[in-house]
Amino acid sequence: MTANQNELLSALVDGELKGEELQQALQLLSTNDIARVQFQRHQLISDALHGHVTKSRTVDLTQRIADALLDEPALALPTKDKASVIPFPTQFWKQASGLALAASVGALAVIGVMNQSQNQLTPTNVNALASVESIPTAAPVRVAQAGDRWTVGEPEVEDRLNTYLVNHNEYAGASNVFSYARVVSYDAGQ
Amino acid sequence: MNVDLELVQRVQQGDKKAFDVLILKYQQRIVHVITGFVHDPVEALDVAQEAFIKAYRAIPNFRGDSAFYTWLYRIAINTAKNYLTARARRPPAMDVDALDATNYYDAPELKEFETPESNLISNELEQTIQQAIQDLPEDTATAIRLREFEGMSYEEIAQVMDCPIGTVRSRIFRAREAIEKQIYNTMSEEE
Repeated sequence: MTANQNELLSALVDGELKGEELQQALQLLSTNDIARVQFQRHQLISDALHGHVTKSRTVDLTQRIADALLDEPALALPTKDKASVIPFPTQFWKQASGLALAASVGALAVIGVMNQSQNQLTPTNVNALASVESIPTAAPVRVAQAGDRWTVGEPEVEDRLNTYLVNHNEYAGASNVFSYARVVSYDAGQ
Repeated sequence: MNVDLELVQRVQQGDKKAFDVLILKYQQRIVHVITGFVHDPVEALDVAQEAFIKAYRAIPNFRGDSAFYTWLYRIAINTAKNYLTARARRPPAMDVDALDATNYYDAPELKEFETPESNLISNELEQTIQQAIQDLPEDTATAIRLREFEGMSYEEIAQVMDCPIGTVRSRIFRAREAIEKQIYNTMSEEE
């Protein structure tokens, strides 16, 4: 072993190596037994100066531990890519897309019904406003009731809405995805 | 990057040789710490070995929040305490966790101790080293003193001594060489 290599090991004891020199020292320790002994000697002096020595001065546990760890698999940190991605089952995507389709159709139906209702309500509102002018005490209640609720007096509209709701409930109940969405209804009487 | 952290990262990536270096670096200190709890020096070596094996298995969880030695020290202390508890046939319900370790300090059988023999050897070694340092040239002695007793980095020593870092490094190395010679001369005379 050269004096330079020995000096490198002394600096390693002090934790003063980095980069290329650190690689060099570690390589030396893993391949050269004399280097290991020398490193231990440097370390022993440092330990002795700090009062860390024991009765058995020349402790070397490396071989014992290496033997004990012989059957241990080499460690490898899990890669983040594998850990962070949790694949959804294919069935989930099928159910989700079906549900999204049903929801879209339902929303379109509701918008259609609302538009239709508003068109139907327009004359009612005008009449109501007329009544407000003539009978100020009773009219505001009637106007509010008419504006807050869908008007499903038309049998055609009611049938269509019922069909959508039944389909929605059946799908939501069967899919097991959004079981809480089963209870959907309306009361035409309110 | 800190050398220990570099070594730990290598172990985490599967380099067992890097763990060997960590053992070489800390085995003396760990055995010393464990000997403070376990009376028999042979048993102390067994416990130290177990502590290092535990550390190896736990090293994937080491994130560098504390210094590696601090982390290793806690494992060593807990391993020693578990060992003593098991030996006293009062096995704990579960492994003593690092966080619970402080609860065990009051147990009388867990106190640190020093034997006259270990004291003698420590004192003798220390005297030999002190004598060797006194015999060193002034610059070399100052460099090793600042490093070992004041805990200064090479850069700090270079500033104090007004010389390049490379000079500091070689002075410290020369000091260690001289001390080693003195130690082994003393040991040879005793034998």
